[in-house]
Amino acid sequence: MSETFYEVMRRQGITRRSFMKYCSLTAAALGLGPAFAPKIAHAMETKPRIPVIWLHGLECTCCSESFIRSAHPLAKDVILSMVSLDYDSLVMAAAGVQAEAIIEETIEKYDGNFLLAVEGNPPLNQDGMSCIIGGKPFVEQLTHTAKHCKAIISWGSCASYGCVQAAKPNPTRATPVHKVVHGKPIIKVPGCPPIAEVMTGVLTYMVTFDRLPQLDRQGRPKMFYSQRIHDKCYRRPHFDAGQFVESWDDEGARKGYCLYKVGCKGPTTYNACSTIRWNEGTSFPIQAGHGCIGCSEDGFWDKGSWYARLTDIKQFGVERNADQVGGTAAAVVGAATAAHIAASAVKRAMQKGDQNS
Amino acid sequence: MTGKAVLKSEPAVYVYEAPVRLWHWVNALSITVLCISGYFIGKPLPSVPGEASENFLLGYIRFAHFAAGYIFAIGFLFRIYWALVGNDHARQIFVLPLFNRSWWGGVWHEIKWYSFVAREPRKYTGHNPLAVLTMHLMLVWGTVFMIVTGFALYGEGTGMGSWQYDWFSSWVIPLFGQSQDVHTWHRLVMWYIICFIIVHVYVAIREDIMSRQSLVSSMISGWRTFKDNREVDDGH
Amino acid sequence: MSLTSTPNGFSLDSGGRRVVVDPITRIEGHMRCEVNVDDNNIIRNAVSTGTMWRGLEVILKGRDPRDAWAFVERICGVCTGCHALASVRAVEDALDIRIPPNAHLIREMMAKTLQVHDHVVHFYHLHALDWVNPINTLKADPKATSLLQQSVSPHHPLSSPGYFRDIQTRIRKFVESGQLGPFKNGYWDNPAYKLSPEADLMALAHYLEALDLQKDFVKVHTVFGGKNPHPNYLVGGVPCAINMDDALAAGAPLNMERLNFVMSRIQEMVDFCNNVYVPDVIAIASFYKDWLYGGGLGAKNVMDYGAYPKVNYDKSTDQLPGGVILNGNWDEIMPVDPRDAEQVQEFVAHSWYSYPDDNAGLHPWDGVTEPNYTLGPKAKGTATDIRQVDEEAKYSWIKAPRWRGHAVEVGPLSRYTLAYAQGVEYVQQQVQRSVAAFNQLAATEVGAKTVLQSTIGRTLARALEAQYCADMMVDDWNELMGNIKAGDLHTANMEKWDPSSWPAQAKGVGTVAAPRGALGHWIKISDGRIENYQCVVPTTWNGSPRDPAGNIGAFEASLLNTPMERPEEPVEILRSLHSFDPCLACATHVMGEDGEELCEVQVR
Repeated sequence: MSETFYEVMRRQGITRRSFMKYCSLTAAALGLGPAFAPKIAHAMETKPRIPVIWLHGLECTCCSESFIRSAHPLAKDVILSMVSLDYDSLVMAAAGVQAEAIIEETIEKYDGNFLLAVEGNPPLNQDGMSCIIGGKPFVEQLTHTAKHCKAIISWGSCASYGCVQAAKPNPTRATPVHKVVHGKPIIKVPGCPPIAEVMTGVLTYMVTFDRLPQLDRQGRPKMFYSQRIHDKCYRRPHFDAGQFVESWDDEGARKGYCLYKVGCKGPTTYNACSTIRWNEGTSFPIQAGHGCIGCSEDGFWDKGSWYARLTDIKQFGVERNADQVGGTAAAVVGAATAAHIAASAVKRAMQKGDQNS
Repeated sequence: MTGKAVLKSEPAVYVYEAPVRLWHWVNALSITVLCISGYFIGKPLPSVPGEASENFLLGYIRFAHFAAGYIFAIGFLFRIYWALVGNDHARQIFVLPLFNRSWWGGVWHEIKWYSFVAREPRKYTGHNPLAVLTMHLMLVWGTVFMIVTGFALYGEGTGMGSWQYDWFSSWVIPLFGQSQDVHTWHRLVMWYIICFIIVHVYVAIREDIMSRQSLVSSMISGWRTFKDNREVDDGH
Repeated sequence: MSLTSTPNGFSLDSGGRRVVVDPITRIEGHMRCEVNVDDNNIIRNAVSTGTMWRGLEVILKGRDPRDAWAFVERICGVCTGCHALASVRAVEDALDIRIPPNAHLIREMMAKTLQVHDHVVHFYHLHALDWVNPINTLKADPKATSLLQQSVSPHHPLSSPGYFRDIQTRIRKFVESGQLGPFKNGYWDNPAYKLSPEADLMALAHYLEALDLQKDFVKVHTVFGGKNPHPNYLVGGVPCAINMDDALAAGAPLNMERLNFVMSRIQEMVDFCNNVYVPDVIAIASFYKDWLYGGGLGAKNVMDYGAYPKVNYDKSTDQLPGGVILNGNWDEIMPVDPRDAEQVQEFVAHSWYSYPDDNAGLHPWDGVTEPNYTLGPKAKGTATDIRQVDEEAKYSWIKAPRWRGHAVEVGPLSRYTLAYAQGVEYVQQQVQRSVAAFNQLAATEVGAKTVLQSTIGRTLARALEAQYCADMMVDDWNELMGNIKAGDLHTANMEKWDPSSWPAQAKGVGTVAAPRGALGHWIKISDGRIENYQCVVPTTWNGSPRDPAGNIGAFEASLLNTPMERPEEPVEILRSLHSFDPCLACATHVMGEDGEELCEVQVR
């Protein structure tokens, strides 16, 4: 047995007293009486690390890369002390048969008790062979492993929504996890990639409290995805004041004005970028001068240019935005009305002529 | 030739009760404010100079939009209530007699009238069938759509736990896929309603002049007056 | 069939035992490798297969060229940003947009930060376990480890016996838990591991240090691009405007505090490369002095487009000059022109795509790709359960790019070979210093060519390149400050931002020295929209299957003639393949013009 949660917490500077307080709070939060606090303490002092299988489908590995950027907790502490990352083709020492054997062993030893983290998604065209693991389609590995897991974490926009390879026309028919796996709780942590501390935050919440985080209707943890970037953006005062970047590198850009007019998707994107920010709180896209591209939203690749405020509507064949479509319609209706006025006037004049004759 | 038969007008009928008339004009005003403010929310005016703390231009525009939105929504709720308790005419634009053949005949006749094929319009105490159809499809459903999507977008700002979020945003946003799509459709339907307004205003004035009953004045006084004394063509 | 000779001078023997490794782990993306070993367990034939395909180029067609960088950036989250950079360069080349000097310097710092970060993460977290045995650290003496650390790198502050004892204790607890996590099912009793327990412990300590520090390196991207992975780029410059001392500078993307922050991160990179990374590679290499295998194609044909110009748009000022070397002749450097239809061509005879003529090559501007997933007659298994591929037929999702018909190796080793051969002083000194240090530690007398032209050489070149990039960034930062002092705050050229200012037809190329080698993006723009987009990426060059003439690519060549201690434990295969830092998502995103025919997407 390696370090327990208790040892990790102690090592991270938490006193025995605070630990016990934490256990009673946890008991209370779980709706249990104070008598359960020592039991929780005991479990946290002795519990083995929960096994995690981390599968990679069609993806770009940005989620893993983001994960290892976590500053609190450090990625090394997550891997060495909080979970047991038994299978992750990106970091594991074993390869080939020795690697594949780990999945079967985990299923056998921890059936229904391990977490499945999925990065990327399975393609269904080409018989699923656009993503091959061990000579077989990735979708087989995914559904097989998912059948035995406790819960699934869909890392990033690929696993949650499909992301870039599922952008139109989706040539490989890349399909998000929740459309091929049913009957298991799925936690979506969207973003391309998600913020590192959000990823480790979701994972440590699950490990520490031994329960799933509260999810919104789209299956995202409420704790990180309940608010738009716009709502807590530091440039929001400039939005309300009506002060915008009109063009790149203009006066507004240098003064940190709102990027709304150059297409920032902050007002329509649910994520924690403006609050938790990126890379240990260093900055986030808007602070660095580029608008948000909405990477944690479903289908954000097909909502028109990063630099357009009004998004394209593809249903109208040629890509047009709402103002072009609606404005054209209104102009047509206006012109038709004018023509009708003229025709009515002519007709009335003719009728009057009839009556007078 | 029809004109020759007209000797005196039929007595006027009280059609639009005061609450309906009030709603009509309040609604017209709120839609005007909503369209103008909404247009500038999507396409803001050029930047204003000075400190952010001294300016609140887009803030005021958004405030106007939200205030008008509340008036628009509350007015619509009130209008539905009045459809239930008011006179027959108050119900007309909400319930279409879809299975009534002669009503569809009326729609067809109006289309012919507007295409200059029919020589004479029919005579109605209430709205003509084509008007009912247009108001139902464009105004009533357009209004429902705008209220639902509008509150869904508003709820995004008020946040989880607010009634706007719980009643609207929580299901409307996932239904469309994402917030950006709701914005796009909210704006598109604004143009749909603008199209309705263009037609509505034109037709009301045209009917006032060319049909056999009063239109614009009725929405002010409530009384429908007629230009001839023949039978009316609707059951109202 | 058994014995064949390839036109590029390798002999293959497909007799003997066939060993299959699928998946190859600790790489980006998905890959499979099959080798034939003879009676002495020496690899005599190697077959590498790219096992994923995403079709990004089809997705790009018809989109706004100014948006393309974000799509192609998602080709890869490991070498994050290099595709975005190649993309904005291709678009700017097509539309004849010149970016301001400040934008160039900022992009350079971002590109070089990526080099350092990617190389460090590759060496410690993807590659190290091929050389370092973490279980062996339990036998180490922390005091001796401390002495070793101080002798290898006297300036590294983390070197006390207590420090190493703490780490050893932590690893012991971890191992004793029975939950080995990423170390599970490793090949820890394989005699292929040669380090002393102390060297293992030192390397493992640095594995953990590097894991902590790499997250700080990328903060340079966070300042300039807002986030990492996948920072933001902009056609025409960079989106981070500069405001040094005007009102509201504190809320501007770049101000004094932000630039100081960047400088601190650059200094960390310089220190880590000097005190940890480069010394570690040399020290580990000295334990493997008898394992100088894996030179393969890198000893013969190497290529790069050239990178890091001191003066932007002047290739003659490249600090890592490009070119091609053939057949190991360092005296003749041939120029590379990515626009020349005769030079860079892609072949698909052994790839799961078809061309009108499978044996002809196509230049990327005219790239055609139609997926065609089939297995050859000698393949074993079924279409959805491959036991063994048939390398005489189609066997990979990777195309085979060639330079004038020659298979070439790309990557840090190629760039270093070219720079060394062209007399870049910094590089020559670095190499000579490293080889001397290696000879001293290993008590050998080998030359630069012997060390460089091996798996170890590939790993060393990567470390030296990281060190060079870290140093270059200091110059870039100083130059940026000089420009600002001279009053130049411009970061973007917006003259041709509006598509109405573009020609109806345009085409361009963007090249980047990506961490894994020469990267090129080719774009055709028609009426303001992308007409065709093709990327030829480093792992496509290195991981390429055979071409119609039978030339093998760099991955396959590097494995040949390597002895395996235990064929069922692929340590040596992983070691040489990892020395290329394969990036399969990059290599196999490819799909071209006719791809749509396949797109019968069934919407659920």
